[in-house]
Amino acid sequence: MSVVNEQQETPQKTAASVDPLELSHRRPDWSASQPMTRTQKIVTVALLVALAVAFAFFPQKTAQVLIAVCTFFYVVMTLYKFIVIRASLSPNAILRFSAAEIAGQEPREWPLFSILVPMYKEPETVKQMVASLAAMDYPADKKDVQILLEADDAVTLAAARSLTMPPGFRVTEIPESFPRTKPKACNIGLHLAKGEYLVIYDAEDLPEKDQLKKAVLAFETSPANVACIQSRLNYYNPRQNILTRWFTAEYSAWFDLQLPGLAALGAVIPLGGTSNHFKTRILQELMGWDAYNVTEDCDLGVRLGRAGYTTRMLETTTWEEACSVFKFWIKQRTRWQKGYIQTWFVHMRDPLKLIKELGFVNFLHYHLLIGGVTFSVLVNPVFWLMALVWFVFRPEGVAQLFPGPVFAAGAVCLFLGNFVFVYINLLGCCKRKNDDLMWWALLTPVYWMMMSYSGWRAFIQFFRDPFVWEKTQHGMVKKQGGRPAAHT
Amino acid sequence: MDQDRKTYKLVRLLTGGVTPVVLAAALLVFARLYDGSWEPGPQAAGICRELIEGTTEGRQALFGSCWVAPLPVLFYLPFAWLLPEPAAGLAAFFVAWLFVFWAVREAVKATGQSGWRIVLAQAAIAAMMGVSGRPQALQISTALTAGLVLLAAAALADWAAYRRLRDVVAAGASGAFLLLCGFPVFGPAGLAVGLVPFAACGDRESRARFQAWMLLGWLPLVYTVGVWVLLNRLILGDPLFFVRSLGHLVPHASLFLLGLLLPALALLPALAVTWACDARARRTMAGMAGPAAASAILISFAVALMVYAKVMDAFGTGWSTVTLHVCALVVLMIAMARLRQPIYRLAGSLGLFVWLSTFWFGGVAREVASPAVHEDVCQSVESYVNARTPYGRVFVVGYAGLDLLRGYAGERLVPNLDLHIGSLRRAYKGQNLYVLVPDPKGAVRAESVFWKYPDIYELGCDRLLFAETFGAWRLFEVVTAPTQEQLDEWKKAR
Repeated sequence: MSVVNEQQETPQKTAASVDPLELSHRRPDWSASQPMTRTQKIVTVALLVALAVAFAFFPQKTAQVLIAVCTFFYVVMTLYKFIVIRASLSPNAILRFSAAEIAGQEPREWPLFSILVPMYKEPETVKQMVASLAAMDYPADKKDVQILLEADDAVTLAAARSLTMPPGFRVTEIPESFPRTKPKACNIGLHLAKGEYLVIYDAEDLPEKDQLKKAVLAFETSPANVACIQSRLNYYNPRQNILTRWFTAEYSAWFDLQLPGLAALGAVIPLGGTSNHFKTRILQELMGWDAYNVTEDCDLGVRLGRAGYTTRMLETTTWEEACSVFKFWIKQRTRWQKGYIQTWFVHMRDPLKLIKELGFVNFLHYHLLIGGVTFSVLVNPVFWLMALVWFVFRPEGVAQLFPGPVFAAGAVCLFLGNFVFVYINLLGCCKRKNDDLMWWALLTPVYWMMMSYSGWRAFIQFFRDPFVWEKTQHGMVKKQGGRPAAHT
Repeated sequence: MDQDRKTYKLVRLLTGGVTPVVLAAALLVFARLYDGSWEPGPQAAGICRELIEGTTEGRQALFGSCWVAPLPVLFYLPFAWLLPEPAAGLAAFFVAWLFVFWAVREAVKATGQSGWRIVLAQAAIAAMMGVSGRPQALQISTALTAGLVLLAAAALADWAAYRRLRDVVAAGASGAFLLLCGFPVFGPAGLAVGLVPFAACGDRESRARFQAWMLLGWLPLVYTVGVWVLLNRLILGDPLFFVRSLGHLVPHASLFLLGLLLPALALLPALAVTWACDARARRTMAGMAGPAAASAILISFAVALMVYAKVMDAFGTGWSTVTLHVCALVVLMIAMARLRQPIYRLAGSLGLFVWLSTFWFGGVAREVASPAVHEDVCQSVESYVNARTPYGRVFVVGYAGLDLLRGYAGERLVPNLDLHIGSLRRAYKGQNLYVLVPDPKGAVRAESVFWKYPDIYELGCDRLLFAETFGAWRLFEVVTAPTQEQLDEWKKAR
């Protein structure tokens, strides 16, 4: 995949003059603007028809084959998780820079660092966000901060304008257009960015103060093909309620164990929504984010891999607000899972080309990470139900669906696989020294049920409203009387 | 830098690839020539056959006894599924020993010792197995147990010495898998896991996180026990079915269980050494307890394993003590290989150790019934029953029965893991039923049929009449009232 951005730098460039949908206009085959191609639709329908016919004529055999396939998938996923977690122990899984190493750099000329902060209807977080970014340990004249605000978001615009912005901070107004998504705003910010490096933060983020310097050092000490440095994300309100406890356990496992493991394996990494640091030039070459993809970060991670670039993990944390309200959590998770489905379909338009560009091993990573995770949340309820029915009623019908070896493999997955997944969350909590959360992590299976609910919601939404962006509600900590902890 | 990386890759290839493959292949050839020790264990192949056929007996057999452990069976299952015998046994044997040599590598490399030490340790263990003179030492179940004991002991030692999170996970996981290797290693598994939070107590910061280490270390084991109990409840209707034999095997079960706690005492001095090392490290700002603590744990663990073997022997359940001895010697060898000493001295001491181990093992070879004997018994029983009735069905009880039926292709003889004579009579109305019972010697005493019907082999039981003896097996006929159809047939015949 080779892309050359022919857009010339002009001093007069404004938000209105930028095409935020450049990717979908120039490379529609990389964009989720068309959720499924005609070929994909035909193949999907053909598979469904074949399945229906098979069920009509050979119901038991078909069910046995399907269950055997799913069991094999579970076995593979369990082993895969194990391999990833083991890889996360590797010393090169994460880039580390001590305070002494950073101090040893001074005096030096730090490169200009662009920071994009997309916001929508979050007037209450503007002040905290500006203070947090201004406090970051990076020369003020080397920060190029853009607060990206939608033109129709009068309240946040007013809140931003009422503040005296520190030097290097500016508000970029995003003109109204469809789709109204975060990546579209970020694309405009990317075109107006001046820095050598670029990072995205969400409005409520509290990055560690030396994160930008660490990111610069990470880029400088990594090979040229490292285009992105992903910081670890975690939550500053883990103990707000049971939902935030589970969410923190999940995030700790994902960012502290699984992503470093993937980085150590050289795998394609589905980027986290914020705190991913890029080389601006490469990001512009790749035409930024897909404005139609609701997990544009995940999609960008795959595109980086396809273009021959890699991502490394950095030992620094950005503290975010964990969604604490069930309704909003479901919406957020639905969006994430829908985005994964979008991303899977986008990159599977030409599987052979994908293998060629990613390589076979990364092709497998892609399927297990993006397709596999989504598939598992969709089929899990079916297997839970079967297990429950078998435990309670012991019907012969269920037993017949699991011939000998499939039964053994299924039992291993049920008892070992599920345990491994819970244990990974415990490990994540332990690594973060959130020891009290470990007890709550034992209840993670309940959290999986919620994930399956949102997974099915996402699956339906993918066909009905593929571009709907269910925005995460922030600021619930303060509304509920909590206060973010101080972080260094 | 490039040279370092090249050397690292070479060492990794040597210790993680070439040496294990060569040594496992050598052991395989040796075992095949020697006595057929590639056999997956007396019952595993039989259980796998039932599991592949999807029978209830297979499921009952998999989880129904703490003496016939599920892990070796589950390990053997894919081989039995994909390959015919004896190729399945050979392949499983090879992979099991590969696992042991990989475990040796993991256990030694944690100390940052050179690759040659790992190779020497791997070779010494292979040599010890070769000269041990005990076929049981080479079996798949012994290999799996030894590998897991090694991983558990090394993880505990490294945790005490270096306090890395990965060691807690390794100790917890290997302890849980070890538990699935059977009753003889219940104690060692409990020790390896139970000590995890205590081994860190010498350090103030680690002590403050006691609950985290406890949860991470103990949870896999507790969960494994829970699953085993649950499956016994679901499959056999009794959550403690798998341990019921203990009460029958030893006259004073509570004294026996108390005796099993004795080996834990062997680890107390090691724990004290660890805490002392921690205290010294705090004074000298060294940070960690270090290799002295690790050595103390490893040596004590080996001693504990030997004490376990003695306790099992003393209570007449010592048919698995060879496995415990192998585990103890392997752990001692690893403790030796981890010591900082010149390579020639290590080679010498390992060689001496191998030679000495022959005295330790020096016992008689276990008698393995040949398949030909099994076939003879099956054919004789079948002929006996066929001569009397065309509707006969013979229930061959227990794990010994599964082993007996391994090569049997007929339908007259069927396995039975949980004998209920009343249920059989109800389920097979109108058929002439027989029960074939093995001689309760050695490990066979642990079969469920003997704790349910203690005198069955000698006297039969309610509604069982002695019919005939076939080698070490006795056939009993189930007394049933004739059905109306049978009565009508007899009337007609008259």
